[in-house]
Order: sequence, then C-alpha cells, then structure tokens
Amino acid sequence: MTTTRESTTSPAPGPEGPAPRSAPRSAPPKGFLTIGRHVAIPVRRVSVVAAAVLLVLVVVAAVATLSMGRLGVDLADLPAALTGDAEGKNRFVLNRLRGPRLTVALGTGAALGLSGALFQSVTRNPLGSPDVIGLAAGAGAGAAISALVFPDTVPVAVGALVGAILAMALVYVSTGTGFRNPARLVVAGIGVAAIGAAITQYVVYAMERDKASVLTAYVNGSLAARSWSDATTIWLVLLVVAPLTALIGRRLDIGEMGDDLAEGLGSEPKRTKTVAVVLAIVLSAASVSVAGPVAFIALTAPQIAKRVTRVSGPHLLLSALTGSLLLVAADLCAQQLPLFEDLPVGIYTMAIGGAYLGYLLVREWRRGVL
Amino acid sequence: MATTTVAPPSGAGTSRTGAARLAFLLLLGLAALALALCASVMFGSRSTSLGDVIDVLTGTADPNVTTIVESRYPRTALGVLAGLCLAVAGTLMQGVSRNPLAEPGLLGINAGASASIVAATAWFGASGSTDTMWWALPGALIAGVLVHVIGSAGTGTSVVRLVLAGAVLSAVLMAFIQAVTLSKPQVFDSYRYWVVGALGGRDFDVFWSVFPFAAVGFLLALALGPGLNALALGDAMAVSLGSHPARIRGGGLLAATLLSAAATAAVGPIAFVGLAVPHVVRALAGIDFRVQIVFSALAGPTLLLLADVVGRVVMRPTELMVGVVTAFIGAPALLIAVRRMRGTT
Repeated sequence: MTTTRESTTSPAPGPEGPAPRSAPRSAPPKGFLTIGRHVAIPVRRVSVVAAAVLLVLVVVAAVATLSMGRLGVDLADLPAALTGDAEGKNRFVLNRLRGPRLTVALGTGAALGLSGALFQSVTRNPLGSPDVIGLAAGAGAGAAISALVFPDTVPVAVGALVGAILAMALVYVSTGTGFRNPARLVVAGIGVAAIGAAITQYVVYAMERDKASVLTAYVNGSLAARSWSDATTIWLVLLVVAPLTALIGRRLDIGEMGDDLAEGLGSEPKRTKTVAVVLAIVLSAASVSVAGPVAFIALTAPQIAKRVTRVSGPHLLLSALTGSLLLVAADLCAQQLPLFEDLPVGIYTMAIGGAYLGYLLVREWRRGVL
Repeated sequence: MATTTVAPPSGAGTSRTGAARLAFLLLLGLAALALALCASVMFGSRSTSLGDVIDVLTGTADPNVTTIVESRYPRTALGVLAGLCLAVAGTLMQGVSRNPLAEPGLLGINAGASASIVAATAWFGASGSTDTMWWALPGALIAGVLVHVIGSAGTGTSVVRLVLAGAVLSAVLMAFIQAVTLSKPQVFDSYRYWVVGALGGRDFDVFWSVFPFAAVGFLLALALGPGLNALALGDAMAVSLGSHPARIRGGGLLAATLLSAAATAAVGPIAFVGLAVPHVVRALAGIDFRVQIVFSALAGPTLLLLADVVGRVVMRPTELMVGVVTAFIGAPALLIAVRRMRGTT
C-alpha cells in the first residue's frame, strides 16, 4: 500500500475492503453512492444521464408495445387501463396478451444484460457471453430432448434449464482454465454448441412437422403466449440476484484491473469471479426457462452500455436497462413488422446481434486484442 | 536456417525409411477404406454377411440379398465422395490459413450453402438435389469469401479470427434461414430433413450431379500440394522459392469451397470430418501437403462411412444421421484439443 494517496484513501480494514475507496481510474471517489461498507454504486454524472435516457426509452418502447397495432390499447385509454379501469378488449389485451409478454420481455432483457455484464467483466473479454460459449445450444438441446423423450412429464423450460447448465459445465471443464482464457472459451463453446445443435436438429427431424415447428420457435427464443407465472419467475430471480450483483459490482470493477492489482487492493478476485459467474449463470438460466435461449442480448447490451457512457467498469445497472430496451424493441419488431408474421423474437436478436458481433470483432482485432 | 530445412517446395522431404513408412500407411489406409466400404454395404436395418456381399459382386447371390446390398450402393458412393471432399477441403483450409481449426463448417460455408438452398426452395421453386446443388455452390462461395474478408481485416490472421468471423456470418445467415423456414412450412420440411446431414434416401443422380465439382476441386487440390508446402515455410520464403502466396491461397480457397459445397449440397452440412481428418493425417503421415491430401482422400471416406454404419446400427430399426454421429465423435475431440492448446491462442 502506498501512502501517497492518503488524502483520498483510508487503510484497508479487511479482505472485503471498504467500498468507496480507491477508484480505479481518474474518477473521484466521491462519485459513489455508498450503502454500508459493501455497496458502492458509481453515480458518475454520465451514468445517471445515461440511465435516465435509457429508462425513458424503455418506457417509450413499452408504451409502443402496448398501444401499437390492431389489438393495441389507445394511448388515451392507456393510463386509465393500466390503473385498473380496463374493460372488454383492453382488459383482455393487457391481462392476457401483451401485459405478461411485455413484463417477461422487460425482466428477461434485464437479466440477460446483467448476466452478460458479469460474464464479460469476469472474463475481461467482450465476447465472454453465454451465447458465444454454447449456453443457448445447450438449452436448445435440453428442450429438444425433453420434448421428444418426456413430452408429458418434463416441461420444455425445465429441459432447457438442465441443458444450459450442462453445457456450461462442459465448457468449464473442457477449457481446463475455467472461463478466463477468451480463445479457449470460444473454441470450447463452438464444440459444445455443435453437440447441442446436432441433438436439436435430430429431434426436429424426428418429430412431426407441427411439433417440430413449435420446438424450433422455442429454441430460437420466443416471447409469444407468455403468462403471468413466467413474469413472476423472471422478476423473482431478478429481485433476488440483482442486489447480490450490486454487492460484488465494486469488486468486479477492481478486478478488471487485473488479478494481481485486485489482490493487492485487498479484494479476493478468485472468489469474486466465482460468485459473479454463478450469478450470471443463474440469470441466464432463468431467462432461458421463461423465454428460451434469446440470442445475443447478453453479448451486446453490456457493450452498448459501455460505449454509451465511455467509462470503464461492468455497468451492471446500465447493462440491465440496455438489455430490457433491446429485448422490448426486438419483441416490438416481432409483433409489428409486416414482413414475417409471428416470428420468434430470438430471430430478430440473432440477426441484429450477429451483425453487431461482426462489427465488434473487427474493432477488437484492429486494436490487437484478439 | 536454410541449412537445416529439409522440405524444399518440390522435394520429397522424406528419407528412404520415411518412404517405406508411407507405403505401409498407404496400404493400411486402403485396407481401412476397403473395410469401411464392405461394412457400408453389409450393415443396416437388415444385415448381410461378407459372403453375401462377395456373392452379389460375383453375381451368384439370392435376388433378395442382391436387392438389399445394391440398395446401399448410392449411400456408400455418396459417403466416399462427401468424406473425400470434406477431408481434403479441411486439409486445404488448414494449409492456406495455417489455422489448425479451419474447417468448412466453422468457416460459414455450411451456413452460406444452407441459406442459399433455403432461399432457392422458398422463392425460386428449387426442389430435388440437382437443383439445390446449383444453389448451394454460389452460397458457399460467397460465404467463404466473406469470412476471409472479415477475418483478415486489420493486420494478419489469427487462429481464432476466421472461426469467429465464421460464427458471426453463420449467426446472421441462421437468422435468415430460421425466419424463412418458420414462415413457410414447405421449406421448413425440406430444410429439417436436409440439415441433419444424411447419406441415406438419395440416389445416384445426386452423386453424379456433384461429381464434377468434387473432381475439379480435388484435381486443383492435388496441383496445389507443392505450393502449400512452400507456403508453410512462410510467405517470404515462398516468394523466394518462386511461388505466389496470393495465388496459392486463392486457389486453395477455391478448391476447398468447391469441395465443401459439393459435399454440403449432396448430403447436407456434416461437421468435424474436415476438422478431424487433417489432424490425424498430419500426425501419422507428416507435413508434406501432397501426402496429406492423398491420405485425407483415403481417411475422410473411411471415417464418414464408418460413422454412417454406426448411425445405422445404434438405433435400429430407425437410424441416426451421419451428421449427428460425426458431431458426437468430433466435438469431444475438439474439446480435448482445446485443453491441450498452448498459450492464448
């Protein structure tokens, strides 16, 4: 510990480290909202502005989702309808059709954004997201197997959950270095994804066409016909996990400077990483169980959040908001675009996210990162 | 440096004992292929014996047995062709990009062929394997070129870049494929049967319609052998030896694309044959590309035929498609390879 920064830091009392000290970059330490010793949420002005803007955009997208199209609730009627006076068609649309779907989209987007931010922070790799490392393919395979082998006993969502967890375990084991080495992570993910895809394709081949079509929609990530129980699931998980991520957010921020430095600063990088990965897997597994494996939200949301604010750190809150915005906007496209009818939302996110991933790759290796 | 280099572009690079070893390996490879060919016509929902097969070949067999064995000729022929195409394409790609992970499937060529076939089925009324062949080819070619353009943006190429670029392109094309297939049940039906990668249920027409592309690709590959050897020494060395690295790369990419497009169009996307076979061949037969290409042409068909036989036997009376079997054999091999990777790449 150097003593030159005494004016802004205090001696470290224990392994957890006091939250508000030692801001990693040039940002002043006073720019943190601290709650007790462990929670320190960066409240840099740019973050606050970005969060506010994102929140407004999420609300706009949500209102558009509820009010657009043939079945939409008139904008004029919307406030009244939302506060409980909905009648007839509006009531049906809000309670049965678009209400639960929108709520699931908001929660799933936030969970995916958060999960991606955690993964990318831990791997210190913009590509370290559940999509790239085979989670979606594993979930698809799990869903396919449960639909083919246990059509009546095991819900597809449970199968997807099990498949996702197994895929992550397989990637973890086969890299030999955990989740830390980006190149190995990606290549192992490709291998695991290949197994998952082969299973899914075989099941889709072996089933009757109608069932196969439904399964294909699900394994692409779909928000069609969601119920309030799906919404409850994802929001409950979020309510439990999000505060925990806030607890470790500060230490992840430190961890991004490198393990040695983090250790020197009194945080335990290994334990932090393990906790973060577990939380990230819980979040993405929860979103898989309510919406299927929606592609690329977890990958792109943290990157967009990072580029909007242009400051370092995992940006947990901003990533979650960006995730919500992306998924609600994609689902709005899925519901309203006349080009294709009733496509699962995952196809839109796959197209957009794939293009964005391409841009990101070129950018990263221009800078010589990969 | 130069004094210790044993492999000039046209030199054999093999001592007399090496030649004996290669001859032995060649015999072994031929024997394995013959065995795989026999297995492919013997086993299935109804198995026959080797004696029956010999009887059929000599024309003295029971007519029923003859029908059963002869019904397996087309898929055996397709297995040989597709296996050869994929393995040689993999060898070429790994040589051209000096990337041990290069493989047609990972480089977006499958996705390109698939997207093209889906579009053709949906909007241009393509049906039947001859039609789809003609559509798979440009799709595969465009995707292959695109991945190389994206992958070589910036400076140099790395092991992971081309694979990542392939993953990106595949994701975008996949979104397109899913969008079309989910909105058109007819297209969905033909696509889901095509995408699992099966040798069965196709006739000799398919074989003959892709044969010219495979043949041109293979001949080009054989001609490129010495050039690839030169390229393996580095671009500067290759130039000083009188080779044209850019031409060799372009030719290699063209041949690999022709070969993998032929295989993909004929039997659907089959993963990992193009990845695994070159590795095994390199480990056994050494680094001379002329030797590698010949041995890949033996080992690829052997692997694919055996995988097909396994798929026919494990789930009797139904069968597992060969593409599924190769994924189950190949992916674990890739995962083991990842564990052994050194350094950051």
